Formats: sequence, C-alpha cells, structure tokens
Amino acid sequence: MSANGADQASAGSERVAIGITFGNSNSSIAYTVDDKAEVIANEDGDRQIPTILSYVDGDEYYGGQAKAFLVRNPDNTVAYFKEFLGKDFKSIDPTHNHASAHPKESGSSIAFTVKDKTADDAASELSVTEVSTRYLRRLVQSASDYIGKKVTSAVVTVPTNFSDAQKAALTQAAKDADLEILQLIADPVAAALAYDARPENLSADVQDKIIVVADLGGTRSDVAVVASRGGMYTILATAHDYEFAGFALDKVLMEHFAKEFIKKHKTDPRENARSLAKLKQEAEATKKALSLGTNANFSVESLADGIDFASTINRLRYEMIARSVFEGINRLVEGVVKKAGLDVLDVDEVILSGGSAHTPRIAANLGSIFPESTSILAPSTFATALNPSELAARGAALQASLIQEFEIEDIEQSIHPAVTTVKHVANAIGVLAKHGEEEIFTPIIAPETAVPARRTVHVEAPKAGGDVLIKIVEGNTHIKVTQPEPKSKENGDDKAKKDADDEDEDESDFSDDEEEEEQEKREKIWKVGATLAEAAVRGVKAGAKVEVTINVLADLSVTVATREVGAKGGVRGNIPA
Amino acid sequence: PTLPEGWSADKDFKVVGKVSASTERTIEPVGPHFLAHARRARHKRTFSEDDRI
Repeated sequence: MSANGADQASAGSERVAIGITFGNSNSSIAYTVDDKAEVIANEDGDRQIPTILSYVDGDEYYGGQAKAFLVRNPDNTVAYFKEFLGKDFKSIDPTHNHASAHPKESGSSIAFTVKDKTADDAASELSVTEVSTRYLRRLVQSASDYIGKKVTSAVVTVPTNFSDAQKAALTQAAKDADLEILQLIADPVAAALAYDARPENLSADVQDKIIVVADLGGTRSDVAVVASRGGMYTILATAHDYEFAGFALDKVLMEHFAKEFIKKHKTDPRENARSLAKLKQEAEATKKALSLGTNANFSVESLADGIDFASTINRLRYEMIARSVFEGINRLVEGVVKKAGLDVLDVDEVILSGGSAHTPRIAANLGSIFPESTSILAPSTFATALNPSELAARGAALQASLIQEFEIEDIEQSIHPAVTTVKHVANAIGVLAKHGEEEIFTPIIAPETAVPARRTVHVEAPKAGGDVLIKIVEGNTHIKVTQPEPKSKENGDDKAKKDADDEDEDESDFSDDEEEEEQEKREKIWKVGATLAEAAVRGVKAGAKVEVTINVLADLSVTVATREVGAKGGVRGNIPA
Repeated sequence: PTLPEGWSADKDFKVVGKVSASTERTIEPVGPHFLAHARRARHKRTFSEDDRI
C-alpha cells in the first residue's frame, strides 16, 4: 500500500481541520476540542487578528504587528485586500486602501507594489492572491503552533454575495498556502450554527425559528434572514451595505477628536497622512473601549506638529454623534426583513455578529424594532450570548469537525445543488382544534420548511374524551392591526378587551408589546387555509392527548399518523401530491 | 374536536386536499442536521429507514 502513501496523507483520518474567518478587517481561527469550538489566539495573544500584511527590512509581519506599521510604514503594508480576491480592477472600491499600499491593475487581476525584500531591493508586485496566500500561511502557522499538529484543512466562511470567481480565487490562495479547503460556508449560517451547536442547546430539540443575522463588520455590514427548520438553514433574504459599518463609527470619533484638536492647536490632524493614521488607530481603540465601559480615553503621542493630545468621551456623547450610523443599521435590518416578505413579529432571534456588534446601543436599538419575544443575541442584551466577533469562526470550526472525516468527493456530492435545492412548503401545515367556540390552529410544519420533513405534536383531546376528529389544514400568518381604543376608555376596559384578544392568539408565539399598545396593536395570527385531510381517533380517554405526526415527502405528498398518546395503533393515511 | 355524528371514512382517514404551494429554495449545506439530510438524500432513504440504521 506504500504506493498510496501520497493519497493517504490527504485522507480523512490524517486531517487536522480548523475553522477560519477571513475578513477584510480581521480574521480568526478556531478549533474544536471535545465538540466545543474554541477560538485560537495567535502568538500576539489576538483572537481577532487584523487582516494586514507588512514588510519592514525584508521581515514579514501580519496581524496586530502589521497594523501598527500602518503609521510608520504605510506604503509596504497591505490591508483590506480580501474583498479584491477574484475581482477585476474596475469593480473594486479602493477607498479603504488610501492609507496603505494602493491596489493597482495587473492583467485581469489586482496587485500591490511593496518592498518585501531588504529595503535596498526593488519593490515587488504581489497579486492579491499571493498576498492572501502569505497571510493565510501565517494564520495556519499560528493555529498549527497552538494545536501542536500541522493544520492541513479548513472550513472558511465567506459572505453570501461572494461570487464563484471570488470563491475560486480564495480556494486557489489557500491551496498555494498548502491548505486544503474542505468547504466554503456562508457567514450568517456559520453564526447561526455557532449558537445552535452550543452544548446547552444540544439536549433540547432544535426549534423551528426565523433568525436575522446582522453581521456588522469593519468595512461592510451584511444582514441575512434565515429560516432554521429542524436544524437546517435556508437563507430567505440578504442585504449588503458598505456604508453603515465599523469604519463609519471610527470616522465619527475621528471627526469629533480632530475638531477638538483644531480648537486647541489650530492644526488639522486629518491633513497629514501619518497623523490621520494615528487618529484612526486611536479612534478604533476608543470605540472598542466604549463598547465595554461608559467612559473612554483618547490619547495620541505627537498627533500633529509634535503635539500630544489627550481627551475623554463618554458613551452617551458617542451614541449621540454616531446616531446616523446606528439608524442606518436599523434601516438595513428592517429592510431585509421586509425583503424576505416577513414582519418583525415573525422573527424569533436576532443574532448580532461581527466586531461592530459589540456596540451596546446597536443591540438596544434593534431590541426596540422587534417585539419583546424576539431574543436579541448580543452581549449587552442576552446573558449567555457568545462573543459576536467569534461566531463565524466557531461555526466554521464546528462544520470542519463534522466533515473532516469525509472524503472530499463525499463533501462535493453532499453540497451539490441536487441535494441542496429542494422544495420548501409555502404555508404551514397543522391541526385545527376546537377550544370552546374558537377554532385554533396549531402549526406542525412551519412555513418555509424544506422537504422531506417530519414533525410530531401532541394536541389536547376534548376533556370528556370519546371520538376525536383530527383535521389537517394549511395555515398562514398575517398581521392583525388593532387601532387603539379612544383615550377616554378606562384601563379596566382595555384590560378586558386584551383578555378577550388573548384567546385567539393563544397559539401564537408572540406576546404583544405593552409599550406599543399606546399607538396600535399589531399581532400575528394564524389564518386557516384549505383542509388537507380528516382523521378519526376513536375512544380517546378523558383528558388524554393525541399525537399527530406529519411527514411531508420530497414530492409534497404527506403521510399523517395519529394516535392517542401511549396507545398502540392509531390512524394512518397518505395524502398524495 | 369531537367527531361529528355520522362521520365515516375508509380506515377512518379521509383525504380532502393536498399541499398547495411550495417554492424551490436552497438549503445551506452546514450543520449536523443537513449532513443527515444529505446522507438520506444520497442513499434515497426515508426518515424511518434512516432511524433503523
């Protein structure tokens, strides 16, 4: 078998796979230990490793060290290059590269000119793929040093609007760095997986829920609406924005402190490149401090004209000057929920991901858009929230640990469109039960569930028992808006009305927001659609429950099985497609 | 609800309609539940067959 030696080296058991988030501003590496994902710190102690590569006297620096060279050695420092992979020069936006090595056209690709050898040598032209390769090599080296084994493979996260050409360029860059890419997965899905795969969640059943993932990065913000059905994710809508992101928040602080400096010293630190670089770096540090504390210092040695500058800012003031950016993020999130054809009442979870998601005000603002029943998963609003910066890397690491045993052909076959593109039911399927006079719909299969799917619920039989009719129906939600009662009404009347309303929203997952009741009351209610089938369960004991299992097959035919809980047999039937 | 008087059907099951609307969408190939789905899809197994293995 020695002839197969080379093949075996790449076979499953030999692999050491990690999760990588390769961002424009920062990158992370993560590894799973005992099914738990851990984000790895590099040798500088950074878990968020700046995506920057710098050359000084022929030595290569990356991450935090390279970032420091943006001040003294900007021309030989390459930053914000990930977005340029697989693109042509005309389609890129080089705004963020003004303060470092500039991108330039090189054939069909993009390149940077830096002195990566000793200072006296001529500058070299490095393609963006080559820059990525060198950076990835350093990332993987850090991971290998930490794990103590050579890392051979990785799952890498990419934005949902990454084109095939960009994916191919990334895969090539990784290959050149001797890194096998097992799979490229979407950022928002990685974040959702990071939450769903937490050990405390695994014991519980995966719930059907609608998740909004707001990935707020340094140079871009990406929002996605994801339907999570039985632990499988389907992206319903996405939005990408290059304006309301972390750099805009840095800029707000830069402007603020630059004005303060001008007032005192009559020089504008923004007019000098080095002063501007110092200003930007300190503004970012101050912004991070404001996510943790309510007060932060801003101080730069020799900011401009040899003058030191020190100042402070409190969080309230910062939130005031950054308001327009925060509002932009709100609009982005609201827009994508609408794009998915949903209402904020349909959203069960909002996952805040990315570096800018640490900002407490952003979480608070989103909390006010969504009903109280929606969980906002961010450190300031959710006690057991994960670190937003680490989500995507954790998700990638979990996926890597799941598939590292697989052959590469198995992975390719599994992610083939024939497997991933399936029908999703447009309406909910559930049972109709009578509670007093009201007919109540209990959803069993949620809308936008991928088929085949199987769900089981227990519905209460009439108290007296006897023969029970199970009606399988379709249903969909709509938003009922109740105009407010005239002000003159007593509180007691309102209360009585609310209690009455409560009955029809019994099965709804959402409780209405007390605050909003002042204006108008919006609630999600189920509208019963066509009946699919009826089944009779005879001789049910008093107070018993009936178990209903619905299995929707890939061709949309449905099998229904009903029986009294604990009883044998029951009624089965098949609804053809 | 209680069974109305005189309701009867073959084997106590009556088909009235069928699933009306669906859309073709793409599942994200991520997570343990997807991998289970892919395994079933590739071997053309049903849920219960999969459970037995």
